[in-house]
Amino acid sequence: MSDVNNEALEQAPIKLVMNQLPAIDVPFESPLHHVELAKIAEHGESQGGVVFRELSLGLLTLRCTPNAEQATSIEAILGVALPSKPLTSVSSASGELTVMWISPDEWLLQVPQDKAFELETRFFAEVGGHYSLVNVSGGNTVFELSGEDVVKVLKKSTPIDFHDSEFPVGKVVSSVFAKSGATICRTAEQSYQLVVRRSFADYLWLWLQDASKEYGLTVTC
Amino acid sequence: MSQKNRLQDGGRIDRSKPLTFTFNDESYQGYAGDTLASALIANGVDVIGRSFKYSRPRGFVAAGAEEPNAVVQLGATEATQIPNVRATQQSLYQGLVAASTNGWPSVETDLMGLVGKIGGKMMPPGFYYKTFMFPQSMWPTYESYIRKAAGLGRASKEKDVDIYDKMNQHTDVLVVGAGPAGLMAALSAAQGGARVIIADEQSEFGGSLLSSKETIDGKPAMEWVAQVVAELNEFDDVLMLPNSQVNGYHDHNFLTIQQHCTDQFADRAPNGAVAQRLHRVRAKWVVLATGAHERPLVFGNNDVPGCMQASAVSTYINRFGVVPGNELVLMTSNDGAYQTAIDWHDAGRHVVAIVDARKNPQGSLIDAARERGISIMVGSGLIEVQGSKRVTGVSVAPLNESGDKVTGAVAKLKADTVASSGGWSPVIHLSCHTGARPVWDDEVIGFLPGPTVQKQLTAGAINGAFTTQAALSQGIQAAADALASLGLEVTDLSLPKTEEVIQDKAMALFHIPHNKPTSKAPKQFVDYQNDVTAAGIELACREGFESIEHVKRYTAMGFGTDQGKLGNINGMAIAAKALQKSIPETGTTIFRPNYTPVTFGAIAGRDCGELFDPKRFTAMHAWHVEQGAKFEDVGQWKRPWYFPKGNETMQEALNRECLATRESVGILDASTLGKIDIQGKDAREFLGRVYTNAWAKLAVGKCRYGLMCGEDGMVFDDGVTSCLGENHFLMTTTTGGAAHVLEWLELYHQTEWPEMEVYFTSVTDHWSTMTISGPNSRKLLEKLTDDDVSKDYFAYMDWKQMTVAGVPARVFRISFTGELSFEINVQANYGMHVWKALFESGEEFNLTPYGTETMHILRAEKGFIIAGQDTDGSVHPFDLGMPWAVAMKKPFSFIGKRGMQREDCVRADRKQLVGLKTVDPTVVLPEGAQGVFDPNAPIPMPMVGHVTSSYWSACLGRSIAMGFVKGGHDKMGEKVFYPLVDGRVVEAEICQPIFLDPKGERQHV
Repeated sequence: MSDVNNEALEQAPIKLVMNQLPAIDVPFESPLHHVELAKIAEHGESQGGVVFRELSLGLLTLRCTPNAEQATSIEAILGVALPSKPLTSVSSASGELTVMWISPDEWLLQVPQDKAFELETRFFAEVGGHYSLVNVSGGNTVFELSGEDVVKVLKKSTPIDFHDSEFPVGKVVSSVFAKSGATICRTAEQSYQLVVRRSFADYLWLWLQDASKEYGLTVTC
Repeated sequence: MSQKNRLQDGGRIDRSKPLTFTFNDESYQGYAGDTLASALIANGVDVIGRSFKYSRPRGFVAAGAEEPNAVVQLGATEATQIPNVRATQQSLYQGLVAASTNGWPSVETDLMGLVGKIGGKMMPPGFYYKTFMFPQSMWPTYESYIRKAAGLGRASKEKDVDIYDKMNQHTDVLVVGAGPAGLMAALSAAQGGARVIIADEQSEFGGSLLSSKETIDGKPAMEWVAQVVAELNEFDDVLMLPNSQVNGYHDHNFLTIQQHCTDQFADRAPNGAVAQRLHRVRAKWVVLATGAHERPLVFGNNDVPGCMQASAVSTYINRFGVVPGNELVLMTSNDGAYQTAIDWHDAGRHVVAIVDARKNPQGSLIDAARERGISIMVGSGLIEVQGSKRVTGVSVAPLNESGDKVTGAVAKLKADTVASSGGWSPVIHLSCHTGARPVWDDEVIGFLPGPTVQKQLTAGAINGAFTTQAALSQGIQAAADALASLGLEVTDLSLPKTEEVIQDKAMALFHIPHNKPTSKAPKQFVDYQNDVTAAGIELACREGFESIEHVKRYTAMGFGTDQGKLGNINGMAIAAKALQKSIPETGTTIFRPNYTPVTFGAIAGRDCGELFDPKRFTAMHAWHVEQGAKFEDVGQWKRPWYFPKGNETMQEALNRECLATRESVGILDASTLGKIDIQGKDAREFLGRVYTNAWAKLAVGKCRYGLMCGEDGMVFDDGVTSCLGENHFLMTTTTGGAAHVLEWLELYHQTEWPEMEVYFTSVTDHWSTMTISGPNSRKLLEKLTDDDVSKDYFAYMDWKQMTVAGVPARVFRISFTGELSFEINVQANYGMHVWKALFESGEEFNLTPYGTETMHILRAEKGFIIAGQDTDGSVHPFDLGMPWAVAMKKPFSFIGKRGMQREDCVRADRKQLVGLKTVDPTVVLPEGAQGVFDPNAPIPMPMVGHVTSSYWSACLGRSIAMGFVKGGHDKMGEKVFYPLVDGRVVEAEICQPIFLDPKGERQHV
C-alpha cells in the first residue's frame, strides 16, 4: 500500500492525499478507549435521563469559498449542496453523510470512517480551484448525547440557547463547552452530537458525567 | 424555652410540623414555614449579635434581605459552614445549626461591649484610620484583633462537600421579584407567548402579599397568588425560581441569579443533589419588580433590641404568627405604618401609642386605629429608647412643623417594642448595577431608578408605586411594553381589584431630633452594621468631607455586607442637612453587585478539583501512566516529564534516558506539538512572510526549520515545516504556542493579506507523533516497515510516506537531539498500536522512553533553542546567534524584518545567547541566575544576562548551560560570574552554545 501512496505523491505534487487507514487489522483506539465505555454500558445505569455514546466517524474539514463551478462539483460528490445558511447542517438521503456549517468558508463533513479517503480522492480529482480538504478524523471524536434531561446538561456546559425556537433539529453551533469547545449539532428531538477535540475528550467526559449526575447517566455503545 | 411569642393560629407556618434547631448552642423549636429569624423571635431571643465597632447588643430589625444585624454563621458540621447568612432569609429546617458571628467571647457577655461603652466617645468616624495606623508595623497585629472582635464570619476549614453548579438561561423576559407587580408582569408576558423567568428571593412567591391582609378580587391576596402561580405553571416556557436572589445585573442584559436549591432546607444536600445553582441569564427584557424596603427612623438608642421596621413587625405577625413583644410603640411619618399597630392590636397585644410626626394626619388606616381605641400622639417624635438588651421604654416629645426640633416636654412611656417607619426606599440596587444614577423624587421621598441603556422595565414599588393596585397595573404595563418590543401580541388582561385605601401625605422625616444636640444625644444609628451614627456623619461633614462618596468612605456607611440597604438614604439626608444642601444636590452613592453576599461555591461552580482546568492527553497517555511516568504541565497538556525506574532519582532517570538515546535509541511522545495543515497556491509565499527564512525553494518531500517573529522582530515560536505538495505544507509549532500560531496565521490572512489563496487547518490532535532517536533508530524502524529508510533514499530533513506497523504513516527525518531521528506520525486512533509495536521491536535495542526533561537536555547539548525558555519576547534571531535563519533579501519582506533592524536591535552590546561552561564542571548553574562580569563590583552590580537553560549532561560528564550575556557573541572564551543567593559565586566560560558533535555528523548518518 505504501508504494501506492508514494506513487500518488509523485503523481500529485500539488496536494498530498493519503489513505490513513491501515490495510490490515490493527487495534483502533478512540479518544475514550481507556474509559472502557462498553463495560460501563453493560454494568452501569440503564434508566438515566441522559444517554451517552461515543461515535467514531470519518471527519473532514472543508475550507472553501465555492464559486459556481466548485459548488456544482462539490454537490455532485456529496449528493447534497453545501449548506450556505449559517449554523445549519444537511444530511444525505442515506444519512451516511452530514455537512455542518462551521464558518462562512468552513464546513465539517461527517462520513463513515472508511469513506474519508474516497471523499478526499474524489475532491482531488473533481474539484478545481482553491479549497482545502483535511482529514481530521483522528483529531476529534463525536459524543452523542440524548435523553429527556439532555438540554439541562447542555445548559450547564455552554451559553448557547437550546430552546426549540432557537435551536431546531439540524442546527449546528461551535462554541465554548465547559472550559473546552465543541461543535454542537441537534440531530433529533432529544439528541445532540458534540464534535470535540481528541485531547479534550477525557476532560469533557468527566465534565459530562458530573453534569449528568443528578439526572442519571446511561452509557450505550 | 417555649415559643412564648407564637400566636395560637394564623400565619403561613405549619404548626403540625415542629422543627428543632440550635442557635448559639441552645436548642429551640420552630415550625415549617418559619425563617430562622421568625423562629428565634418566637422563642423570645432578643440579642442575635454584637455591633461591629461599639459591640452593642443587637436584635432583629427587618424580615428580609435588608436585615443588617441578624447575620449568622450557618452549618452543623465543619464542612458545611456558611458565613454571612441573614437569619431573616434562611428557611428553618430540622437540625439547623447557627451561631452569632459578632460577639467575642459571647453575645451575652461581651468584652468589646465594655470598650464600646467606655470608649464610645473615643471612637469617632475614621477611628481605625486615626488610631491604629501608628506604628505602621503593628497594623497586622491590630488588624487580627479588630477582625476577631468584629466577627465577620468564617469560611470552613474543611473541603465543602456540597455541589454548586451553574446553568445558562435565555429568556424573553426576566421578572425580578414575585410580588404583585412581578407576578402580574410574568403572567401577562407568558400569556402573550413570551419565554419568562421569574425569580424571587423568598421561599414562596407573593412578595409583600405574603404578610398582607389585603384582598384581591375580593379574596385573600394569597389566594390570588396561588392562582397566578398555578397559571404560570401551565406554561412550558415559564421558569419559576423561588429561593433565588438576582444578585447581579451586568452588561447586555446578562444577570446572575443565585438559587438556593437544597441549602435552604438542609445543612448538607442529599446525595447527588445540587446545593446552590448560579443561573447565568441572558434576557431580552428585564422587568425589575424588586419592591421597596421600609426605612427605619433615626433616633436615640434606636439599635436596642426590640426596635424594628414597622413592616417587619407586621410580617412576623401576619406571615409567621409571631408577635415580637407585648407593648408596642409605633413611630411613623406616614399612614402605611398604622397597619402595624392594627396588626399588633388584632393579635391581642397592647399598643401603647402611635407617635406620628405629622400634625393632623387623616386617612382610612388612621381611622381604623382610632376605632380600635389606640392612642395617637400627633406632631411628636420618639426621641430616645431606654434599655440595653431589650427596649424597656421610650421618650416622646413634641416636634416642630418641619420635624427638626423638639418643642416641648419629654414624656416617658413603657414599652418593649418600637416599630418605626420613615417611608419606603425603592429597591433600585439592580438598576444601579447597570450604571444608572438614581433620581430623587420628592413625592416618593426616595430614589427611583435612573435612565438606563439596558432593556430594562420597572414595575411596582421600585417606581414608588406603593399600593398593590398600582403594582398590579404597572406589572401589566411592563409586560405589555416588553411584548410589543418583542413583536408579540399583547393580550388584554383584566386588572385585578383591590380595596381602596385613602392615605394622607407622608412627611419627609429621616432623623428625629433629640432635646440635646446630636453630638451629645444618645447614639442615633444610621448604619447598624457598621455602627455609623448621625453624630458621626455630622462630624465627618464638619471635618470637611463634602462629597457623599467621601462621607461614605470616612464613616464606613454602607460598607457592610448589607450595603446600607436601610441606612444609606437616612445617612444622605443627614449629610445633606449638615452640608445645607438638598438631597438631590448631595447625591447618592450607588450600589454594586452583588445585591446580597454570594457564596464562593456558587461563583466557582463545578470548575474545581479535577474539573478546575482541562487536562489534555495524547493517544499514548494510558501507556505513560502505566509505565509510572512523572508528568509535566505544558499548556494544558500532560506530558511525560521522565520515566523513573524502581527507586531512581530524577537525575538518575535522566542520565539513563540520555545515555540510552545517544548510545542506542530513545523514544519521545511528541504528539503535543502543534500541527497546522496549510493548503493553497499562495501557501509557500505565506510561509515566507510569516517565517524569517526563505521558503521559495523548499522541494516537495523536504522539511525546513523556521523562526516566527512578531512585528517587533522578536522570536515567539519556531518549528519545522514540511512540503507535502507544491501547494501543501505541514507546519509544526511549539506545544504551548499552537493555538496562538494558528490565530496569528488567520489574523494575517484575514486582515492583511486576504487576497492570498491559502487555508489553515489544525491537525494537532489528528496525528500521533512518536520520535525515535539514536544510532539504532533506523534499525528499529526497519523492523516495522518494508519501505526504504536507507540514508541514500531517505536523507536528513526529508519526509516520506510509509507503512509502520501496518499503519500508513508520515515519517520525518528531523532531529531535535542531534541523533539520527525519525518522527513517525500516524492517525491518532492508531497511535497506541504503533507505539506498542515499536516497544515490541525495540527490546533488542533497549528502546528507552524519555520525557520532556531528557528532550531538553539532549537538545541543549546541541544548542537548539526552546522558544519560550531561551526566548522571552525580547530577543530576535540575531540575539540567538541564528542569522542563518533570517533571509533579509526575500522579495516581499516578512513579519519582524523592520522590527529587528531598529536602532536598539542592532546594538553590539545586546544580550546574546551563548553557551556557558562552568569552570567547575560538576556545578550546575541554576536557571535564572544573573551573570556579572566583575564579581567584586559594588552593589548594585551591573547584570549582564541570565541563564536560560542549564543541565547536567550525562553524555558529556559535565554541566552545560545556555544563557544571555551582553555582547556575548564577541566574548568567546571570556569569563562571566554568577553570584548566587546562597553566597556562592559560580565562574563560567562563555562558549559556542553547542557542546556535542559540532559538525552535526550524528544526525546525518
